[in-house]
Amino acid sequence: MNKLNKKITPGQIGLFTFLGLFALAQLFPLVWLFNYSLHKSGNLFGKKVFELPDPPQWGNYVRAWTDGRIVQYFSNTLIVVFFSITLIMAFSFMLAYACARMKWKLRSAIYSIVLLGMVIPIHTTLLPNFMWFKQFGLIDTRIGIIIPYIAFNMAFSVLMFTGFLQSVPYAMEESAYMEGAGLGRILISIIAPMAKSGFVTVGIMAFLNCWNEFIMANTFLASEPKRTLPFAIIRFEGQYSSDYAVQFACMILVAIIPIIIYFTFSKRVIAGVTAGSVKG
Amino acid sequence: MKNSKLLVFLLIMFAIMTPLFGSGQSDAEDGKVVLKMGDNLPDRTNTWGLVAEEINAAFIEAHPNVEFEVESYQDQPYQEKIKIYATAGQLPDIMKYWSFSTLLHPLVESNMVAPLDPADFEGLGWMPGALESNMVDGKLYGIPVSGDLWVMYYNKAILDECGVGVPTTMAELKAASAKISEMGYIPMVTDGKDGWPLSITFDNIFWRVTGDYSIMLDALAGKRSFTDPEFKKAAQAYQDFFKNDGNFGNDLVTTDYGAARNLFGQQQAAMYLMGSWELGLATDSNFPEEFRSNVRAAKFPVMESGKGVADDLVAWFGGNYIIKADSEHKDLAYEYLKTYAELYPKLVWEKQAGFPAQAVAASDSDTPVAKDLLGIGADATATSGTTGLDLKTPAFKEVHMKLCKDLAAGVISVDEFCESLQEAAEIANK
Amino acid sequence: MNSVLNSKKTIFLLVFPGLAIMVFAILAPILLSLYYSLTSWSGFGAKEFIGLANYKEIITKDATFWRSLWNALLLLGVTVFIQNVLAFILASVLIQLTDRLSLILRTIYFVPAILTVVVITKLWVNIMNPNFGLLNKLLKSAGLEDLAYAWLSDPKTALGAVIFITVWHGFGWALLFYYSGLTTVPKELEEAAVVDGAGPVTRYLKVVIPYMMPVIQAVIIIDITACLKQMEIVMLTTAGGPGNTTQFVAYHLYEQAFKFSRYGYGNAISILFVIIALTITLLARKYLSGDNGNE
Repeated sequence: MNKLNKKITPGQIGLFTFLGLFALAQLFPLVWLFNYSLHKSGNLFGKKVFELPDPPQWGNYVRAWTDGRIVQYFSNTLIVVFFSITLIMAFSFMLAYACARMKWKLRSAIYSIVLLGMVIPIHTTLLPNFMWFKQFGLIDTRIGIIIPYIAFNMAFSVLMFTGFLQSVPYAMEESAYMEGAGLGRILISIIAPMAKSGFVTVGIMAFLNCWNEFIMANTFLASEPKRTLPFAIIRFEGQYSSDYAVQFACMILVAIIPIIIYFTFSKRVIAGVTAGSVKG
Repeated sequence: MKNSKLLVFLLIMFAIMTPLFGSGQSDAEDGKVVLKMGDNLPDRTNTWGLVAEEINAAFIEAHPNVEFEVESYQDQPYQEKIKIYATAGQLPDIMKYWSFSTLLHPLVESNMVAPLDPADFEGLGWMPGALESNMVDGKLYGIPVSGDLWVMYYNKAILDECGVGVPTTMAELKAASAKISEMGYIPMVTDGKDGWPLSITFDNIFWRVTGDYSIMLDALAGKRSFTDPEFKKAAQAYQDFFKNDGNFGNDLVTTDYGAARNLFGQQQAAMYLMGSWELGLATDSNFPEEFRSNVRAAKFPVMESGKGVADDLVAWFGGNYIIKADSEHKDLAYEYLKTYAELYPKLVWEKQAGFPAQAVAASDSDTPVAKDLLGIGADATATSGTTGLDLKTPAFKEVHMKLCKDLAAGVISVDEFCESLQEAAEIANK
Repeated sequence: MNSVLNSKKTIFLLVFPGLAIMVFAILAPILLSLYYSLTSWSGFGAKEFIGLANYKEIITKDATFWRSLWNALLLLGVTVFIQNVLAFILASVLIQLTDRLSLILRTIYFVPAILTVVVITKLWVNIMNPNFGLLNKLLKSAGLEDLAYAWLSDPKTALGAVIFITVWHGFGWALLFYYSGLTTVPKELEEAAVVDGAGPVTRYLKVVIPYMMPVIQAVIIIDITACLKQMEIVMLTTAGGPGNTTQFVAYHLYEQAFKFSRYGYGNAISILFVIIALTITLLARKYLSGDNGNE
């Protein structure tokens, strides 16, 4: 099929209406939320479906920003997510390389076992990890949350990298080995750059997975100084239980951060996920 | 190339930052002692939460080396959190908790709560039975901070606008609800999502039906069956009250504590079924002045066909403060409880922010709702003590709440309710 | 051929960190879970070893458990047959558009997928609130007052509402997977079909869909795990109610352990959960692929 011609047919109008409605369904709830975050709390109970705030109550955002401890929770989230995805990328790349390029006895067995990890939901370790991590003093530490994040993202990432490595030609490594370069050097300066889109893909997927994970973070990162961003909303529910507008403002603040990141990188995100899922 | 350098850089960063990840011990800087504290008072600028802040400030004044690290959630998440902390051995030093066998007792039995010496808390004007309700096997484990009466708050202005009086019987309530709905208000709200208000109301309705609360206690103790006719009758009355009579909105079971309180405070609902600790509605600056000056409290309505009377009062001593048995700063935590017991009744009554378990100095300047509550308490000819859901095991409590929610939502029948409750009681009595 | 690629030490160094973390954070907890599942432990206090009694109770008596499994399957059904089909159709449309327009639309459609589940659920809880929610206000303004429900509280609509939120949240992912799959369909294949005189529908059924089978398969496998582990949305909306109408396995085990103080029992659910997840996925792989089973 070719790209659309210039003439607009009724079919196309229908098509664009359909596409537009879908976009509306995805975005309007957020617009509604944003709108009422600028109202006075009581206005929400009004009869109108949608009403612009007059005047907008930007003070709601000031309260949400300070009392929601957005900065603190956000930097906590960043630390956790940053270390998680870095290590996920490193470890899964290494494992994938060993499985894709090297020959060893247990290779296929280990590869299958690792992939099995994809099927096991993170929630199954919610209860035992409590006792297990306690043995190592990992409860209420960031490492205690980063470790499961790495573990549960390994399978998927190894799968991706294996796919990417298969499309990387073998010749370059070979000549590098001939010249006597060490494995570390080859991995970092030859293979990694060629599997760049693999890193982007794995990084993005891991980012979204870790960023969106709630239940482990909420259960294990108990103390206030380590709380992650979604908790701002939970906290607010109590503190501002009588003030919907401020609650909404807090939700918008929590939502806006990934949205900004996403729109900044949207082309790469979409391209990365697209490339990745083709391989997967 | 750029990527590889980045990777190395990140790994180095990680190595450097690893020590920062140390486990969550209280970080005592420059000789400060950090007291960890947990409670169910997330709003620190109003009512009880504000009083707690003032007590903390007073304590810091007397002990300048102390710092508080307070964690607050709404009731249900808070109770879950404490169970999780108990499992992980990470309880805070000081906790607001509840005296119930479902909450206090499991912690006491696992030796996680420090015993208190009653002599240290003498002469503080406790209501009769208050300290006793916090004893397990004759030892005191918590100081009671709340005298709880189960009442019906109402918004006088809305009732007037709808042309209805304060309902005293179920039939009056049903008729009033119809009018209130017509006027576009929600007749009554409560926290239906968490279940416990429904469970308490079940006991209240049972008492109104039978006029004899000891039957309930007998059934809980396994001496009678929840499938007896009295219970079926009460269960039917309960389902009528929550579902068939149109007293509540159709989102009862997803309305949580905050939402229910908010609907009432924002003048969307005419009545609010809750305990006397909500005294602070009249002084909560989150709500419009019009609401605050019109909030009142009334006795739970009677059943026309029932044997119970309006002065059979469902009341108990629930909220307390306890300290962790192996707290690093147990002496300070103990001192804190003493300070709390001394300061709390006066401060909370001044602010009209809660209903303490200690004698208060009533005065003419008390808010109308405070006067109502004092009146209801004084009129009571019999009181229930802790209600059924909190007299057995934690598992029984959960089943009790779940069944009450299901019956109110109409997803189970009266017979199923009674049979399941009996089954749960049998398991709990094993 | 060369020593570096065969050196046991190198292989060990490459494989060890990832594998060790997986053993530490997945395998070990599951084994521990197995142990706790044989006790009647409450989470603190004394442990009592009770053999398989927990499993027996779950299988013979725990209606909530079966209900929660059924709900997960229902969610899976809706995901596969409604969300995936819609996503596939939309992806097929998007691929015909100009690159720029398609990128803009894909970006928009993916927005919900990047929001944390807490924002998503709280958002929909507010939209579906019968007192001030957008949904009922819309219905009322359209004169459809009879359709105004307490969506998340009414036993008739609660499960539907929860499933809707889940499907809405995951839609962007499905779309993206299918879109990217479609970009790989070779033009020659389609053109050959056009030459053979096939209309658009036949072309899809005969050429595009068979070609896309591996992608469809992969998406379904991902959906299986995602649906089985559904928990956060339920926890933050209905808490499994009213009744057990919206209960899901992961939340059921959380509730048993941390609300009912039945830690041992919760672990038994956890173990069954692993077994079920593995079985369903393996079955699905077998039936969907029928080939080498490598993927």
